[in-house]
Amino acid sequence: MSKMTDRIYVWGFVGLLFTMSVLFFLLPIQPFSNVENRTLQKAPQLTWDSLWSKTFSDESESFVTDHFPFRNQWVWTKSMLEQLRLQQENNGIYKGADGYLFEKLSVPVYEDIKAYTAAVQLYAQKHPNTNITFMLAPTSIGLYPERLPWLAQAYPQNEVNGFIGKQVQDSLNFIDGFDFLGSAASADRPIYYKTDHHWTTYGAYLAYFAYAQQMGWTPVAEKDFTIETITHSFLGSYHTRSQFIGLEPDSIEVYKDKNGIQTNMYIADTDQTVGSMYDPSYLAKKDKYSYFLGGVHALLTLHSTLPAERVELNKILVIKDSYAHSFLPFLTQHVQDIHVIDIRYYNGSISDYMAENGIEDVLMLFNTTTFIGERNLLKLNY
Amino acid sequence: MVFSSLLFLFLFLPAVLLLYFVSPWRIKNLVLFATSLVFYAWGEPIYIAIMLLSTIADYSFGLLLSNPKRSSTQRKGIVVASIIINLTLLGYFKYADFLIQNVNSLFGMQIPLTELALPIGISFYTFQSMSYIIDVYRGTAKAQRNWLDFGTFVALFPQLVAGPIVQYSTIAEQLRHRVVNVELFAEGVRRFIIGLAKKVLLANNIGLLWNTVSSTGTESLPVLTAWIGIIAFAFQIYFDFSGYSDMAIGLGMMFGFRFNENFNRPYTAQSITDFWRRWHISLSTWFRDYLYIPLGGNRNGPWKQLRNIMIVWLLTGIWHGASWNFLLWGLYFGVVLVFEKWFVLKLMQRMPAWIRHVYALLLILIGWVFFAFEDLSIMGAYLAAMFGVNHQPLWNNESLYLLYTNAILLVLLVIASLPKRQHETGFGPAIQLGWHALLFFMSVAYLVDATFNPFLYFRF
Repeated sequence: MSKMTDRIYVWGFVGLLFTMSVLFFLLPIQPFSNVENRTLQKAPQLTWDSLWSKTFSDESESFVTDHFPFRNQWVWTKSMLEQLRLQQENNGIYKGADGYLFEKLSVPVYEDIKAYTAAVQLYAQKHPNTNITFMLAPTSIGLYPERLPWLAQAYPQNEVNGFIGKQVQDSLNFIDGFDFLGSAASADRPIYYKTDHHWTTYGAYLAYFAYAQQMGWTPVAEKDFTIETITHSFLGSYHTRSQFIGLEPDSIEVYKDKNGIQTNMYIADTDQTVGSMYDPSYLAKKDKYSYFLGGVHALLTLHSTLPAERVELNKILVIKDSYAHSFLPFLTQHVQDIHVIDIRYYNGSISDYMAENGIEDVLMLFNTTTFIGERNLLKLNY
Repeated sequence: MVFSSLLFLFLFLPAVLLLYFVSPWRIKNLVLFATSLVFYAWGEPIYIAIMLLSTIADYSFGLLLSNPKRSSTQRKGIVVASIIINLTLLGYFKYADFLIQNVNSLFGMQIPLTELALPIGISFYTFQSMSYIIDVYRGTAKAQRNWLDFGTFVALFPQLVAGPIVQYSTIAEQLRHRVVNVELFAEGVRRFIIGLAKKVLLANNIGLLWNTVSSTGTESLPVLTAWIGIIAFAFQIYFDFSGYSDMAIGLGMMFGFRFNENFNRPYTAQSITDFWRRWHISLSTWFRDYLYIPLGGNRNGPWKQLRNIMIVWLLTGIWHGASWNFLLWGLYFGVVLVFEKWFVLKLMQRMPAWIRHVYALLLILIGWVFFAFEDLSIMGAYLAAMFGVNHQPLWNNESLYLLYTNAILLVLLVIASLPKRQHETGFGPAIQLGWHALLFFMSVAYLVDATFNPFLYFRF
């Protein structure tokens, strides 16, 4: 190497290191990443405790990574390089056919699942006079296996659902999502988002239809709703995690009531009452699915003004994950008061809550991924 | 702190470079020593005391040894004391729980475990500072009177946590007299970038493949998947560790040090004897110089040599981790090396090169199975899967999926494992500059999006 080239190496390298570190300190700090839909690491506080316990060093590492100059462009570059080398997955997300992304389902830990189903059983036994239904929704990988990348193998999710069903079906009413979504999976209308882990509003409608039948109600037909598309630019959580490039965004539909039912939503977390189940402010953000119910809340209630002849139930408790968010609006067609607990965030006793509010009907609604991996389900034991 | 992190690259390193190069010569070692302590304390705020203890002890022992009036018994006593202190630290923090577990299960006892985390780099710095005392005792090195120079030798952050194990005699002179010029610094930059790319682009990505395979149950593993898995592991550990050594050597150059090479294209080896001349050279050299030769080496007849080889290799094995599989791994290589000395090497000389190569790679890969699984029953099941004893098909869709989604990476890994050829050095400086810039750029992209960035040799 000539002296000239060596000089370029030295000053190029050193210059790059210093430029990036200066930029790192100069560029403004973003508290929230819209692309990744998460709060970024705050500047670490230097104290003896944080230094000693290593939290200072851990937080500093995340802080630098989270606020690295041009972070989104770097992430995009990595994703592109991964695709160039024929890798069909990034951060645990498959890039499937027709623009569908899928979350990898690895071999489940059946011991854990048994602990969760035991908690469900115990819960049902503790409330013998309550009508409990447990609906287990598959995720998209379970219903669209033919859209997986070439030769990719997914663990059969219907076996997992079948296993869970077998454990709990004697203690309560079990509805396996495969039963009502299976026939719709081959049709053209999407029941899952391509870039997000939730079901579409149509998928949620099918779930509602199955639940209504199980409860002995007459489900409201699709034609009796006004179906509106509220956005065409939804890039959901699978996109967030994988950062694949060249994806087609999803559309979100909403089934608006034609019968003049007014629903008020009381959010206990913040002690707020709003006059709608929908929060349009999320349509301007990354996390557009939070349009439904305004995102995740530990506890909320939906009160609907129903004509007396339409009321099938006065109240119900729904213990759920976020799959319920697009499903609950359908329930307001039949139930006056819907109490909604997100078991991942609600820390009180569910049994106490039921006693205080005189609950006699319960719906548990989870997707398979939540159910097999959510330790908070053990809260059902208390 | 690890080299392959943004915090190190873009905050710590520029700060150290700035401090080092604006400082006058007489405080340069102080800068290195102080920043090295920060580097170490960053990940191990408490254990820094242990490193300092070992350093202070050996510094004092060195001074004691340098007194010409000491009798030879006293001198021996000093060396023994140093070795005892270092091995006690190493033994207590690395092997105590392993020992307790085995005693407990053997005698049905309930001795509580210490449950101490392993201090980072303890296996490296204790060996390094023992080499110093032994060199001084032997008279091959002069005792270091300057505590700062000695502290810099032990704590020097490029090689502190994962080697190469720098023998004192290698850099004794450089601690006092070293020159940093543009040529050396530029060579250091190139070396560092190559090491970073090996670690971040190659090792981390092929490590994901190994993770996928090793987390699949061994009972359902087809033959092809089992081989893909262990090949992935072999590449991961080589590029991880040699990448780290390259980064260490490169950083050393930026500060004017020249460390010895630690790897020399180990997967081109034609026998296991050859492999161990090319793999983790600083460790095998250490064991040769400070254990095998003092034990008598090959000088006292074949039986003594056999004993010496087995001692060295059992210890090499257990050095890699406090677990039976590492002992087994060392034993395995000890036995293979004995057989090679006995007749295999002579036999192999008559074979074509490709057979020698296949022979060596096969034994190396089987060795990695011993290395990779601490649970001996899983290890056995994995070996069974490799040779189809678990009655699974030769391959399934998943094997083919893993193969084609990693095909390009695997080809790159093979190319990167081959000897340096003309084409690598034959390109013009502009192309090389572009190549290094591209590698650095891609490595940073992978670091920014790193959800998977383990460093294998931190457990040692």
